Amino acid sequence: MQTEKSEPLRSGAADTRGKHRISAELKRLEQETRHLEEELDQLEKMESASVACKEILNNVGTRPDPLLPKTIGPANPSWDQWFEGPQDKSGCRCWIL
Amino acid sequence: MSSSSVSELKERHIAATETVNSLRQRLNHKRLQLLDTDIAGYAKSQGKSPVAFGPTDLLCCRILQGHTGKVYSLDWTPEKNRIVSASQDGRLIVWNALTSQKTHAIKLPCAWVMTCAFSPGGQSVACGGLDSACSIFNLTSPTDKDGNIPVSRMLSGHKGYVSSCQFIPDENNYLITSSGDQTCVLWDINTGLRTSVFGVEFQSGHTADVLSVSISNSNSRMFVSGSCDATARLWDTRVASRAARTFHGHEGDVNSVKFFPDGNRFGTGSDDGTCRLYDIRTGHQLQVYSPPHQQQGGTVPDAPMVTSIAFSISGRLLFAGYSNGDCLVWDTLLAKVILNLGSVHNSHEARVSCLGLSADGSALCTGSWDTNLKIWAFGGHRKVI
Repeated sequence: MQTEKSEPLRSGAADTRGKHRISAELKRLEQETRHLEEELDQLEKMESASVACKEILNNVGTRPDPLLPKTIGPANPSWDQWFEGPQDKSGCRCWIL
Repeated sequence: MSSSSVSELKERHIAATETVNSLRQRLNHKRLQLLDTDIAGYAKSQGKSPVAFGPTDLLCCRILQGHTGKVYSLDWTPEKNRIVSASQDGRLIVWNALTSQKTHAIKLPCAWVMTCAFSPGGQSVACGGLDSACSIFNLTSPTDKDGNIPVSRMLSGHKGYVSSCQFIPDENNYLITSSGDQTCVLWDINTGLRTSVFGVEFQSGHTADVLSVSISNSNSRMFVSGSCDATARLWDTRVASRAARTFHGHEGDVNSVKFFPDGNRFGTGSDDGTCRLYDIRTGHQLQVYSPPHQQQGGTVPDAPMVTSIAFSISGRLLFAGYSNGDCLVWDTLLAKVILNLGSVHNSHEARVSCLGLSADGSALCTGSWDTNLKIWAFGGHRKVI
């Protein structure tokens, strides 16, 4: 039986395990190759980033946001619930009345 | 079994590795060509005006005190302003955020908890941690003789710690966990069984611990995961065998992932100190959010790490907690820091480990290693257009 110079002598069982491990890793690499090739194909027809950027700018402006100083409506009365009415004693009172 | 076939396999392995590396380079090059702008560049070109906060616009309006150890995780109910939090003290606490009162304190069988979540109906909470399991507690259960709520279901099967869990929106009986065993799992709580395992060995999954998950609100079949392998991955729950897409770019552990409100993008926060926004349909990295001291180029050693992120309900604001106690409020569109909640009156005194928005978007809750949770809301003059 030939052994590679770089490897110490090993038992047959260790060889089998090593072979299975490398074989499994090889399968994973071959699978990844296929996935990467698919992705490369997709990129040929892919839209550029500016298309998504434009969508985001449009979307963000269409939702009412209670944490913004300036927002599209309608406003919900519950937005101000955190600063209304008597609060429990154990709550923090560091809001401006 | 001759070792000559082992050496043949090794040669094929080397060749396959070279093929993969070469394909990755081509992909990167092609992607760069498609990145004709980032969000900030586009927004500036459209004359987008910045968000202008006054100094007292975002205020701490509640401090939730009660944990005796670091707070690691928090989650809001989809309604009614309740929060569940998990702490190093081995407890879950359920809070009424509006009144600051504790409604439940659950002493956990395993004290090493890392994550917690509220069920959509608000009747149950889930948690997980170093016990490698996800435990479900029904808040309406009678307590046992020690006054503790018993575990109603234990989801076992992970081979590593449970880092994050989230219920599927509108599904009280399904949740997704992420784990140190490099997988995510979709669980059926009724049976306690794994419906799907995402990233099984040798499939297209993460290659290191998974730290975070986020399920899309607009399509609950899609979720993203973030990992110590520096990638985020998009999954379709119907296809457990491979990730739908892998997102590269970060240079360190991806600690936090969160879907953007429009459902077609998601944000990430990483040990490399940056947050990023990715597009799920194209895979493009649309924006990098890099704090000012890091913008000289390259990664700065010992830069504060991003621990957690959340978007405001419109997506205009990105909240990011950092390991140095900072909690930056980013203008998502112009990629500028508007405010640092870590340096205002009543800021946390240690790392912000978790944060989340209330369901109506009117409040942000931050949890910290200083053992407290704080609620922040807009207390300034609001202009409604």
